[in-house]
Amino acid sequence: MKLVFVTPRYGPSVVGGAETAARMLAERMAARPGWQVEVLTSCAQDHLTWENVEPAGRSDLAGVSVRRFPTASRRMREYFALDGQLRVAPGAATMAQSREWVARNGPLCPDLVDAVAATDADVVACYPYLFATTVDAVAASPVPVVMHPAAHDEMALYLRSFRRTFRDVDGFVYHTRAERRLVQRVFGVGNRPQIELGLGVDPPSGTGRSGSELLGLGGRPYLCYLGRVDSHKGCTMLAEYFIRYKDRHPGDLALAFVGPLSGPAVDHPDIVSTGMVSEADKWDILAGATAMVSSSAYESFSLVVLEAWTAGVPVVVNAACEATMEHCRRSGGGLWFDSFRTFEAVVERLAGTPDLAAALAAAGRAYTERFYAWPALIERYASYLDQVVARGPRARLWTDRLPVITSGTPYVRED
Amino acid sequence: MGIVTAMPELSGATSADPSDYLQQVMAEIDAEVARRRASGDLPAGLERELDELFLEFSPVGAQGQTRLRESLSLVDGSAYVDIAVPVESNKRAGRLVKRTVRSLTRFYVDFVVHQIVRFAWAVSRLAHQLVDRLEELESEVAALRPPPVPAAAVPVADDGGAWWAPTAVEALGPATGRVLHAECGAGSLVAAMLAAGIDAYGVDPSEPAVETAAAAGLDVRAEGAADHLDVVPTEGLAGIVMPASLQWCDPTERARLVALAASRLAVGGILVLHSSTPAGWVRRAPTLLADLAPGRPLHAETWAHLLAEHGLAVTSTRTGGGSAGLDRMDGALPGAASVNAAIDLVEQALLGPDEYLVVATRER
Repeated sequence: MKLVFVTPRYGPSVVGGAETAARMLAERMAARPGWQVEVLTSCAQDHLTWENVEPAGRSDLAGVSVRRFPTASRRMREYFALDGQLRVAPGAATMAQSREWVARNGPLCPDLVDAVAATDADVVACYPYLFATTVDAVAASPVPVVMHPAAHDEMALYLRSFRRTFRDVDGFVYHTRAERRLVQRVFGVGNRPQIELGLGVDPPSGTGRSGSELLGLGGRPYLCYLGRVDSHKGCTMLAEYFIRYKDRHPGDLALAFVGPLSGPAVDHPDIVSTGMVSEADKWDILAGATAMVSSSAYESFSLVVLEAWTAGVPVVVNAACEATMEHCRRSGGGLWFDSFRTFEAVVERLAGTPDLAAALAAAGRAYTERFYAWPALIERYASYLDQVVARGPRARLWTDRLPVITSGTPYVRED
Repeated sequence: MGIVTAMPELSGATSADPSDYLQQVMAEIDAEVARRRASGDLPAGLERELDELFLEFSPVGAQGQTRLRESLSLVDGSAYVDIAVPVESNKRAGRLVKRTVRSLTRFYVDFVVHQIVRFAWAVSRLAHQLVDRLEELESEVAALRPPPVPAAAVPVADDGGAWWAPTAVEALGPATGRVLHAECGAGSLVAAMLAAGIDAYGVDPSEPAVETAAAAGLDVRAEGAADHLDVVPTEGLAGIVMPASLQWCDPTERARLVALAASRLAVGGILVLHSSTPAGWVRRAPTLLADLAPGRPLHAETWAHLLAEHGLAVTSTRTGGGSAGLDRMDGALPGAASVNAAIDLVEQALLGPDEYLVVATRER
């Protein structure tokens, strides 16, 4: 069986949940006997510029054959104007406006789309829904296409051009039930073959060092946020809530933001920001945390929640995020907040009741081991792809390839 | 605060329901939050500001009904436009210029802002009326809804081994498209259909049952029948095996499910419906379900009538599933054959079979 992944960016240095998920799956499927895996991707590393930085052509990454294609254009400033225009009422945008948004969101890789059209694979897997590579691959593939939407409730999901794309997909692979419910509600694709898969968690690779010492906290207890430190991930809110918490509950507790920073670090004596850290540091910091806080309301899976449980740490999640709430409700491994008041009460309770924290972490770990062990997960994925291929050729398609738009003023990062 | 600290039996598939445990912990936390809110230990303005911060980073769709009032307070908070433009500046001249501009344009800004504020207040007032009315309606609808049947009262379906399963598979054999088994339990009938070459999948509200089916590689999802049919495109299915709960659900819900199913079936699509007979229901339904179910099974003839209203023509009806089971005489006894034949006749005429299967095709 030959499986081709189509993803806008690929590689270990790419920071992005969907792209990381695609790489994790590709590497494990490539190691499966009887399976041949190829990744078709762009030469870009930065999703905000789509600048071609990787060399075009074939390479081998961790046992996966990777073919890179140049983007036809960098991201243009006109994208942001259009995005702002459509953001208020995306469902009211015309088909032409929607397609222009997808094209300008990019990355547009005409040669990649030609390669999909000429593929000798049995099945194509696109990851995630949001980018032009996926929309074009769904339109061009001669063989069945499964989509890993990695969708959450955002403006783009309601653009009408995606309705056609989703209609043309032969099967869906979801991270969570919440994601399935969302996609089914928006696109009415309940009758399509689909599977809730999620992702597996690697065993912790910490080295047993004290997380508090690594953070320079000198043995103080701390809450930990893991991932890109960005306002859209709820980090501004988390910092503000934590500062208010400390005003009302003075003590040793600190907060550590662990991950690349999108803006200036918060300047507060009880808050530390590490920037990017190594895997070993990440696991050691995580293992020593009182709790891992997932402040983002926009997650389609949140691997870090499962990693926290694997490390024996309870989680606190944003109640507005359906995916992380689903993990907590199904596992019993975490608490949630929907206001400063609940944040305060939850943190106070976890910090003051080690038995509760331990019980939550154990429940979360049991859930992770039961549903997100790599071997069983890969077995299910392979079996699902077999079934999609066995259903036969694709039905009549509703989508066309996107227009290649190269006009405009190139966007350049300001940082 | 702090009553629940440890969850019993943390591991294993049969452990205590984690959602019950979490609900208990979160209920305690909510009670603590309510107590603190009532105590007024945070200035109201600050509390609102912090709540608004949460809303600012939440998707609109995820905020749900419970957040409606808070969103409304966001509208209220934004309905006032301050005309006192700040005039601070790092430069002394800058402050003077800003103050002069503010003074000179005040009459103009005042005029415009007055209209904007009037409009914003009118919108806010309308939003309040709509939310009030919506909450009233919701409460009325909730009062009209029959109480749900406890999940424990409903047996999990395992229809693959039922007497009617081979007939259903045979009836759905010609389907050219996806076939849904609504309330498929652990998926044994889905598996039987797949084995017969039918492109079948299933849904069931029972999570443990679905997990078993999904682990076996079946396309089976944890959803109720109506919720699922809601997200299937019109004429998107070639066949439907209707849910067992159809026979005893609330009549309004039954009508909705039938209409939904009919609209989701393609023209030429096949609908399979299995039910107890009214008499069989009385004899065999589990006590809890028999007592608490909001509806009762219909006769097969009634189904033919109801389905016809939705463009479905009944193509076959079969009965089975045993009957009242009157005791027969020992065949070795003299005259047993004629007595038993009479019992058969009585059973057939007065009691009849316990179940039936209706197969219908969508004609228009």
